[in-house]
Amino acid sequence: MTESSFKGRGLISGKAEGPALLSLKAFTFAHGVDPSTGVVTDVRSDIRGSNVRGRVLFYPFGKGSTTASAWFLETVRMGNSPSAIVTEGVDLSAVIGSVMAREVYGKGVPVVSGIARDAYSKIAAGSKVRVDSERGEVKAQG
Amino acid sequence: MHLDSNQENLLRGEGGEARQFAMEIVTKVGDAVGASSLVPIKSAHVLAHYSSLHDAGVDVLERFAESGGRFAVPTSVDPASIDLQNWKSFGIPEEYARKQFRLCDAYGRLGGMRCWSCVPYQVCNFPKQGEAVAWAESSAVVFANSVLGCRSNKITAGMDVACAVLGMTPSFGMLEDEGRRASVAFRVGFDWLSELDYRSLGYFVGKSSGSRVSVLEGLPPTVTSDDLKHLGAAAASAGPVTMIHYPGITPGSPTLAAASGGEKVEEVEVTRRDLDEVRADLDQTEEAPDLVALGVPHLSANELGALANLLEGKKLKAGTKMYLYTSSHAYDMAARTGIASTIEASGARITHSTDAEISPLKALGFEVVMTNSAKLAEIISSEGEVRMRYASQKEIVERVTG
Repeated sequence: MTESSFKGRGLISGKAEGPALLSLKAFTFAHGVDPSTGVVTDVRSDIRGSNVRGRVLFYPFGKGSTTASAWFLETVRMGNSPSAIVTEGVDLSAVIGSVMAREVYGKGVPVVSGIARDAYSKIAAGSKVRVDSERGEVKAQG
Repeated sequence: MHLDSNQENLLRGEGGEARQFAMEIVTKVGDAVGASSLVPIKSAHVLAHYSSLHDAGVDVLERFAESGGRFAVPTSVDPASIDLQNWKSFGIPEEYARKQFRLCDAYGRLGGMRCWSCVPYQVCNFPKQGEAVAWAESSAVVFANSVLGCRSNKITAGMDVACAVLGMTPSFGMLEDEGRRASVAFRVGFDWLSELDYRSLGYFVGKSSGSRVSVLEGLPPTVTSDDLKHLGAAAASAGPVTMIHYPGITPGSPTLAAASGGEKVEEVEVTRRDLDEVRADLDQTEEAPDLVALGVPHLSANELGALANLLEGKKLKAGTKMYLYTSSHAYDMAARTGIASTIEASGARITHSTDAEISPLKALGFEVVMTNSAKLAEIISSEGEVRMRYASQKEIVERVTG
């Protein structure tokens, strides 16, 4: 089995794994993910209808309302959060949401940035991904 | 990010749990964006609507309040998802209201200025030129940077409360000269712009500039601060806009060259056709509205007065409701001056402490909403549940009254 390895910058530390869920478009939890199910509802998203729960969620950038951190936190509260978030640019909503999740619900979600969207083509949707954000490492099984 | 010894102590918990939690948030943000340091702020503006903050937001606010948090700087509070005084008469379910009131109570304990308004700069939060602030609410941030000449990033939910509790924010982006430099210039050549034109213009600027800071030249001298409020709000709804330099208005930016730091910028001439295209984009149906919603962002007392003049002696047609959204402050003023009674005699209602884009319109049964707010039209239509109509307030009043 081949394994692709990518190096980014860990913004929220932790280790996590899960099947890959990849969006090539800017992503938001605000009105974009239903916190009570984890399903992506954003009509402009290329992964609309997919469920983020337990997945390693990849997207290039955040977008839209600054309430996205609260929507993300609510998704954590309801037990439907992704296991890790991997982005190209820095999405402050993911960073802030994850700090609050650790503090209030004792559940941090590792966040890694700096992994360019070109890399996504080397990762098959649903393939197993391991994230070690302390090292900034993202490893995907081929 | 470099922390001084006092800030290190706060992060270790020596200033209490609430400030430690706040430091966890701001240091992670500072590190993520590569900020050099934490700097003092003069004021904060924080989000309060249950529709986006959810139960998790209630938990966070209560955590801050119960662990001894107290705002360190004057902190104004954004609108709620319900009219806090008259919510029952607007059909809001009791359970929903109770959640919203828990959020509101937490802000009371934290020491927030409970103006419940998205236009704090017209109500109770008056920073001056050059001061650093930490404001949430994108339209208020654009106004702060572009009209007041103070310095604010667009602060994310949760971070807003953290900055308010600490009286500090990481220095990056809009707080630094480099981040405020314009790299695109828009020019309008009209002698006069209608109230709708200002909003369409803002929307065009927001769509066209992306994350770039822009300059907008050639606004007519008749432009009001209310016009700039709506222009900036429209821009920030259409794209990730945090600042627009208006030469002659924005402090420290008398000319295009001053705004761009002397660098060459892309120049865009805005035509009547550009504004007409925005209007066509946002006016999405021919259907008759079941709700007219005006005041996103909140109407000032002056704007309520203008609407009273338009509505005087007219009656709303059956089947259409009209809600005018404003701050509690402007609401009180309208009540004292007779403006409110003129408006209400037409069948329209003034609602305060909430706003249309953060209230449960769909759950309240509205299918087609008409507005002159490009911001409301953009937000609601992107959610895809309620259909939007977009026209000037004069056209709207003519259409829905008899």
